[in-house]
Amino acid sequence: MLFAFGKTQKLPCIHTSAALDVNKNWDRKNLHMFPPQQPDEARRPAEVHHCRRQIKYSKDKMWYLANMIRGMTIDEAIAQLEFNDKKGAKIMKEVLLEAQEMAVRNHNVEYKSNLYVAESFSNKGKYLKRIRYHGRGMFGIMDKVHCHYFVKLVEGLPPKAEQKTGFDQAKNYVEQLKSRTIIHAL
Amino acid sequence: MAMSMRRALLPLHRMRFSNLKNAEASLEVRYPQPFVVPVRTKKRYFIPPAVGIKGKAAVSADQEAKARAAGVVLRQEYMERAINIACTAGVFDPYIPPEGDARLSSLSKEGLKQRTEQIKQGAASQLAIRKIKEHDAEFTTKAFPVKAQEIFVDAHNALTQFNKEKLHSLVTERCYPEMVRGNRYKTLRWHFVESLEPPKVVHARCPDMVSKGNLYGQVTVRMHSRQTLAVYDRFGRLMMGSEEEPRDVLEYLVLERHLVNPYGMWRLHGKIVPAWAPVKEPIVKTVMIPGPELKPGEEFEELNYEVPKPKAVQWHK
Repeated sequence: MLFAFGKTQKLPCIHTSAALDVNKNWDRKNLHMFPPQQPDEARRPAEVHHCRRQIKYSKDKMWYLANMIRGMTIDEAIAQLEFNDKKGAKIMKEVLLEAQEMAVRNHNVEYKSNLYVAESFSNKGKYLKRIRYHGRGMFGIMDKVHCHYFVKLVEGLPPKAEQKTGFDQAKNYVEQLKSRTIIHAL
Repeated sequence: MAMSMRRALLPLHRMRFSNLKNAEASLEVRYPQPFVVPVRTKKRYFIPPAVGIKGKAAVSADQEAKARAAGVVLRQEYMERAINIACTAGVFDPYIPPEGDARLSSLSKEGLKQRTEQIKQGAASQLAIRKIKEHDAEFTTKAFPVKAQEIFVDAHNALTQFNKEKLHSLVTERCYPEMVRGNRYKTLRWHFVESLEPPKVVHARCPDMVSKGNLYGQVTVRMHSRQTLAVYDRFGRLMMGSEEEPRDVLEYLVLERHLVNPYGMWRLHGKIVPAWAPVKEPIVKTVMIPGPELKPGEEFEELNYEVPKPKAVQWHK
């Protein structure tokens, strides 16, 4: 009864999230739907977006690992991370395995090895602040660093980087020199 | 810092020496009094937020005790939400379709036997139909199957458009998650081409839930029709079926209505899949099946291993 005894009953709150100002755009990319393809169109490769938030690691240290696996096939990436000594490597490997599992189960990816890392980056999470005591009653604010890690897996073989030979570069340079003009000339 | 300490303590020193003028001076030397230095710590201009939260749990317990002592009565907060149940949890006494249904034509001897069996229908179904007619005046075994087919077609069209409100009005709460699960991020294209045989009521039951008078009517309708279904995944790639090729489908639909409720409607409650139903066609992609559990040291023998097939059991969905 909503109006019993002149007192409105509170609806019990079921939402329990720690911070409401968190950006969930990366997870929403997994919910983007495409219209059915015509039979003559090229088969659209499947994409899986996955992330892990508030990892207890520095974003700068995570950057090195994220840069390392960018563009690798997923098997190669997992192998490299398994034998890397950094703390972030173990967490990144878990994230990649989770993403692979998600791709096969929910996103209709046929072969779990047929994926490559299209995008991989890390950024700053919410820091906790503590006091670091110095001498003479001075103090510093110590940041307990956290980072987020994002990864996008795409089905298929990774795109090959174009190999530019020295001769090609020299040719381009000479063409640039030849195509120079003098502006506002008579 | 030493100078600032001395400056702060000067008044104290003066205080001490003022008392030493009398005879107590000798006592002071033998029993020095404890010296409390009222020196302040350096003021912290930054207090991290976590420090304040540590004592909060203890504080709230204290507050509750204080409130109770003061006589303030706090009403218990009930985390309750009323749920409206308008359908049963399953199919009661499911209809067992006879083997070889729709495989034998009516002209052969076996076909005739089957038809006569079907016409008899069984006593319990007749009783149930009579009970249903008591509550619902418009129910007839002749007109109902046509309505049932309409409900079926409308429900599946609403599923392709994913029209939640319409789907809830055509399909019970038990059937809704079964129809919708996994399909939210998929595109479905379904088309009802034609009906090969006129639909028929084959089975009816009237179970009552929880209390004695709470009657629900469940009617099974047999439908033989031609349909096309194509399922596309999130990226628009064909997962299953095809849009051009229609298939002949024999289905046993269960429709339900809350008879006691005057505003109740006949809604799709589930389907019965017989044990002898033909195997569904496999999906386009290859799927990995988990292999046998191996002990350490054993090896997987490919030639001797047979993929286990599921048992052919009647189930209703």
